[in-house]
Amino acid sequence: MSLTLQPVRVHTGFEEEGVLVFDGSQRLVAVLVRLSDRNEVAPGQWFLEAGFGPLGGVNYPAFADLDAAQDWIGQRLTQRL
Amino acid sequence: MIAGPHSPQALMIRKLDSIFPLSEEERQALRDVPVQVTVLKADQDVVRIGDRPSQCCLLLEGITQVYKLTTEGKRQIMAFHVPGDIPDLQSLHLEVMDNSVATISPCTVGFIQHEHMRRVCERHPRIAAAFWRETLVDASIFREWLLNVGRREAYTRLAHLLCEFLVRLKAVGLVEDDTFDLPITQVELADAIGTSNVHVNRVLQAMRANGLVQTRGTQLIVPDWERLKEAGEFDPLYLHLEREGDA
Repeated sequence: MSLTLQPVRVHTGFEEEGVLVFDGSQRLVAVLVRLSDRNEVAPGQWFLEAGFGPLGGVNYPAFADLDAAQDWIGQRLTQRL
Repeated sequence: MIAGPHSPQALMIRKLDSIFPLSEEERQALRDVPVQVTVLKADQDVVRIGDRPSQCCLLLEGITQVYKLTTEGKRQIMAFHVPGDIPDLQSLHLEVMDNSVATISPCTVGFIQHEHMRRVCERHPRIAAAFWRETLVDASIFREWLLNVGRREAYTRLAHLLCEFLVRLKAVGLVEDDTFDLPITQVELADAIGTSNVHVNRVLQAMRANGLVQTRGTQLIVPDWERLKEAGEFDPLYLHLEREGDA
């Protein structure tokens, strides 16, 4: 699964930058946000803010880095498509 | 355990009385119900889905959750219970548990054998009516939660849940100066309002910044009840309390 990323600013109420994640067919599958250092649960981690299609749902995990997040998204997309 | 002013039975009477006024004779009948008191650790199942309990659990101290899991293991918390509540009261009439009940914090609970519950209900039809009313109020709370989780914004959801805690704890005398103990994690709050712990944290920080709540350890302080109610679209009608205090 080849994913492409596009930087984006997300209005989360905190100073947080994110990326739009597209699948091989250039469909938007997820929005990842690097959490503010002020977040008390997972400071500095990458959080799956929103998921589409097979990634739709509510219990989203946070990842130590962007690679881990992409691996997880890739696996979920392969499993479910 | 012998029924005194701070006995398990007294707490049950206070709770039932908050939703259905009881006569002195009925109170005495409840004081005579045998209760076996046990202390449980945090995060411990009291009763599990599929169980066929022969007793009900009267919560005396702490907070418990009603929950179910998806096949993947994701948890939805459907309700919290506070001291005086009987979280598995339905097991008196529904043989098999269709949800689990677990402690959130360390809890003291009192187990009451179903046979004793049945006996007091047979002899005192108004006590049976009070228990029936308690299960109906539980169902009303589930309906309100469905609206809350399904259709409200996360900020409103959390404000609504905190309002509910305040009113229910106040009804059993566990709120002082708009302050109450809420020994609950952000993961548990997230599983109750159907969002992530990351988002719960953002919402809590926003609520603190907006002056809706203050936290001190596990204590929650509500400096402006009217504003929290407004933020949570909270109307205590669904709790069907006889005396709503200043809710």
